[in-house]
Amino acid sequence: MREAGALLALVAAVLGVVMGGVLSSPPPARSQAPDVLLNVMASGAKRLNIFIPDFTVVAGTDTGGLAKRVPEVTSADLKFSALFSVVSDPTPLPAADVEALRQRWAGAAAAGAHAALHGLLSLGGGRATAEMRLYDLTSPELRVIASKKIEMPVAEARRLAHKIADEVVFQFTGEPGIADTKIAYLAVRPGVKELSLMDYDGAGPAPLTANRSINLSPSWSPDGRSVAFTSYMGGYPYLYRLFAFERRPVQLLAGYLGINTSPAWSPDGRSVALTLSKDGNPEIYLLTVATGAFRRLTTHSGIDTEPSWSPTGREIAFTSDRAGTAQIFIMDAEGANVRRLTSGGFNTQPRWSPKGDTIVYTSRRGNHDLWAVSPDGSNVRQLTAGPGDNENASWAPNGRHLAFHGSRLRGWRIFTMLADGSEQQAAPTQGGEATSPAWSPRLP
Amino acid sequence: MRQRRGHLLLVLPLLVLTLFLVGCPKRPATTAASAPPPTAPAPAAPAPGAVAPAPGRAPASASASASAPAAAAPAPAAAAPARPAAATPPRPSEFSESPNLKDIHFDFDKYDIRPGDATILDANGAWLKQAASNLVLIEGHADERGTNEYNLALGERRAKATMNYLVSQGIQASRMTIISYGEERPACTDKNESCWSKNRRAHFLVKAR
Repeated sequence: MREAGALLALVAAVLGVVMGGVLSSPPPARSQAPDVLLNVMASGAKRLNIFIPDFTVVAGTDTGGLAKRVPEVTSADLKFSALFSVVSDPTPLPAADVEALRQRWAGAAAAGAHAALHGLLSLGGGRATAEMRLYDLTSPELRVIASKKIEMPVAEARRLAHKIADEVVFQFTGEPGIADTKIAYLAVRPGVKELSLMDYDGAGPAPLTANRSINLSPSWSPDGRSVAFTSYMGGYPYLYRLFAFERRPVQLLAGYLGINTSPAWSPDGRSVALTLSKDGNPEIYLLTVATGAFRRLTTHSGIDTEPSWSPTGREIAFTSDRAGTAQIFIMDAEGANVRRLTSGGFNTQPRWSPKGDTIVYTSRRGNHDLWAVSPDGSNVRQLTAGPGDNENASWAPNGRHLAFHGSRLRGWRIFTMLADGSEQQAAPTQGGEATSPAWSPRLP
Repeated sequence: MRQRRGHLLLVLPLLVLTLFLVGCPKRPATTAASAPPPTAPAPAAPAPGAVAPAPGRAPASASASASAPAAAAPAPAAAAPARPAAATPPRPSEFSESPNLKDIHFDFDKYDIRPGDATILDANGAWLKQAASNLVLIEGHADERGTNEYNLALGERRAKATMNYLVSQGIQASRMTIISYGEERPACTDKNESCWSKNRRAHFLVKAR
């Protein structure tokens, strides 16, 4: 095995902030990074040019037009990753003719492509199998870097495309992409906020609740199966859990007098940190899900709320007004060693990065904007600067992207951006206002 | 109080039954391994009444009470999460507006009772004393600035501060229930201070006992 780690580190150094935290954890052993990115990034480019011709159907009949649709979706995913620029080509590829294929790759390389992705589709019985082949067009022999078969029902062609994109990102960075993820959010109508679900790219929006009540603060369990949320569906703001992909009833997690709000699943999936006011004022508690036991973590006469776990599970960032105005604090997971993280203004909604090195929060200085700070309080930087308000950040599982809601268009909409605040774009949520995005983990 | 206990007696068996039905092993054998890929979400959650136990007011020693339903439940429920059991306060929808109870308002990000609002609360308290058959729901609200979860906590503090003031005026705590709506139910939706100041409020509803 080659020095994949060293290669990746060099690539990361060149890519800088674009790569974000991708490399702060060691790449999996099966990863072998090709030197394509290395060559490209050394030449100063910000993105790798990848050539993606329409896929080739090698078995069955493509009644659904997958040979075109799948690479389209994969291309959009790779562009979104901000690691790639995509060159498409609708000309049919002679998949069986090795020499003709070589000429196409050579032509693409001459036109500036650094890599090529080709898919061989086998269709039948309602299923689609894509054999994806990834080529390094900077190598003299135009060698195949990786080849993998992925099978899906034809009806889930978009998911097939997302999985191909995630594999391409994995081959080039050592960590899978986040195309095969979803975003839970609140679809807002007057007096009603329904919990809803869409693909990370806004496709396939569908309701998760239909209780015509106010539902708030979705938080994914780390296994990607369930979402904890606050709802007024029973009259009072209690904490519930629903299973997003299973026919299972909604579970009550906490139904105390007062507020039962602001859930945050622990990284090990065993506990939910939440805010209860049952003992007199809003405090943070830890609920052990299997036993239903609650343990109080904060003891202060002010407001303590909005817990957010460090990825190690050893610390919790939270919001408190104990200093006079709302500020972000950090405590250890037992509630001890409280220290203040932010100062000035009015700072809420801490969101600890999955890589551990950054906490994004919402700061009110006139309007609300998203800021970032290191857990030691250094490196404070502004990520959004209007227009309107920008709030409620949620990390993608790779720590490179953030979703948030903002008011820059008409009403509240969901947006995404890179962790440094660049590449801000609206997610195409349909039908009215949308708030409170919660980016799912990688799905099982 | 007696009435609450009556509720409790009704609710407990229901709670136990619901726990039995709702409670589930950590890994359901039928779905965990073979769960279909999550492309299509499950149909929208059924109505809460059908699935969620009617939870309620936790007694003072609430954390201890969490084990009560599990202890009383049949064996399968032992693995199910225990839930706080308690008497249920009336649903907010059972309360209605009263012309005799006026809103009070708060400064931005504050939950202390201002002197002018204390006068309003004194008048509300005087009416409540002579209308002793009424229960009261105190709603705490915030303006849209700040963030949803923080504003829920802020609304809670406002409702609680209001209730504490009325208790100090001799109104029985057992007549009062509080609920925070945070910024979720604004009285006014313009984006200016005149509107925001109307939204930072405690609002009162009543219900015949």
